Amino acid sequence: MKDSLSLLARIPAHPDSRCWFLAWDPSGTLLASCGGDRSVRIWGKEGDSWVCKSVLGEGHQRTIRKVAWSPCGSYLASASFDATTCIWKKSQDEFECVTTLEGHENEVKSVSWAPSGSLLATGSRDKSVWVWEVDEEDEYECVSVLNAHTQDVKHVVWHPNQELLASASYDDTVKLYREEEDDWVCCATLEGHESTVWSLAFDQSGERLASCSDDKTVRIWHQYKPGNEQGVVCSGADPSWKCICTLSGFHTRTIYDVAWCRLTGALATACGDDAIRIFEEEPLSNPQQPTFALTAHMPRAHSQDVNCVAWNPKELGLLASCSDDGEMAFWKYQRPEVC
Amino acid sequence: MAAAASASDMFDAIVMAEERFHGEGYQEGYAEGSHVGVIEGSRYGALHGAKIGSEIGYYLGFALTWQRLLHRSAEEKPSKKKIKALESLIGMIQKYPFEDPIYDKLHEDLEKIRGKFKQVCSLLNIQSDFRINPERSALTF
Repeated sequence: MKDSLSLLARIPAHPDSRCWFLAWDPSGTLLASCGGDRSVRIWGKEGDSWVCKSVLGEGHQRTIRKVAWSPCGSYLASASFDATTCIWKKSQDEFECVTTLEGHENEVKSVSWAPSGSLLATGSRDKSVWVWEVDEEDEYECVSVLNAHTQDVKHVVWHPNQELLASASYDDTVKLYREEEDDWVCCATLEGHESTVWSLAFDQSGERLASCSDDKTVRIWHQYKPGNEQGVVCSGADPSWKCICTLSGFHTRTIYDVAWCRLTGALATACGDDAIRIFEEEPLSNPQQPTFALTAHMPRAHSQDVNCVAWNPKELGLLASCSDDGEMAFWKYQRPEVC
Repeated sequence: MAAAASASDMFDAIVMAEERFHGEGYQEGYAEGSHVGVIEGSRYGALHGAKIGSEIGYYLGFALTWQRLLHRSAEEKPSKKKIKALESLIGMIQKYPFEDPIYDKLHEDLEKIRGKFKQVCSLLNIQSDFRINPERSALTF
């Protein structure tokens, strides 16, 4: 099983600091990393090795916690503990900070672009989630401030093809939001985790959402539309989300990130026990009550907490990870034949 | 027989005294505690209510003033979004049930008003000097 995940390269991406998060651009050719050194680095492959193409160093005063590419790949958003979010515009290999979004009271922890590219969401330690609208002139306007969580917001992510936003929080819940009459409303609360929810990932179809937590479990939630065959009750026109699977007993510490490969459906996790694990749905399992098998386990993938895992959107089985040790690593995942 | 019964009553009175006094004391203490608690609760409620009232009052005054300013401003056409957000904030405040302290969505609606106010500030590109107390948790109990 150990052979199913092999190391391709290891790079000191943010030396002497933490490497917090990674994001592949939509074409899968560039990787953005961010860290405690207040910089964003852009990586590209030259021959067989990964090289740093740009350093975006001037935008933030404090740690950069997350980065996100716009769906068109021309913009990069960076969320920082300095309470701001910077928008960088790419022209050739150069990046220029075109806007700084202010408004959060303190640390911005997460940022995510909607599939249309015209909406951006940010989440903060101030417990709020902000939705921003972008016009053609790169002007950003706040369209909503959502105060649904009672504690820090750790992660925000958009549904892959709908204008549905999900957020994860220190209050142990996941909340979903949609637009309603010029404003945004919380339309569902997913309860079940027993501690902080650190990250979220939708699958390729958007019918399933994976959440990972400080309670050492991953939960898989399934969307049930009103009038579904399974008879899951929905209130009004909003779909219901139900936990259909809990992956417990695999992780020994907090799970900081979860990533669902859009190409293969493999689910990767980044854990505080320094390991990377990969799960796949068992082929004959009931889709309403699926079982997932651990298909790869890489103990000591990094020398400290693994903070992020990211599947390349185009290249099958290429996984990037990064850690508190400041390094990032590239892995090749091969599904084991007997699984 | 009668002597035996009265003797047992007498012992009973002595033996059970602690329990009896305990019960009486509890009753008296309970009554007094309830009374003091009601006063304290009412004082706290008044204080908390006043805080919420002044916060919301501030938002309303702010919103109405900006609404006027935008209507009168020299700006060719004030952004529709700004006007809409202001109207929405004013509407939310007017609908807020000040007379009903046990309304179950009191805190939820207050959080929505706070969110709308922040959005308005962001759209107007101003920083409000109104600061809600740092531990502004909706449940300070």
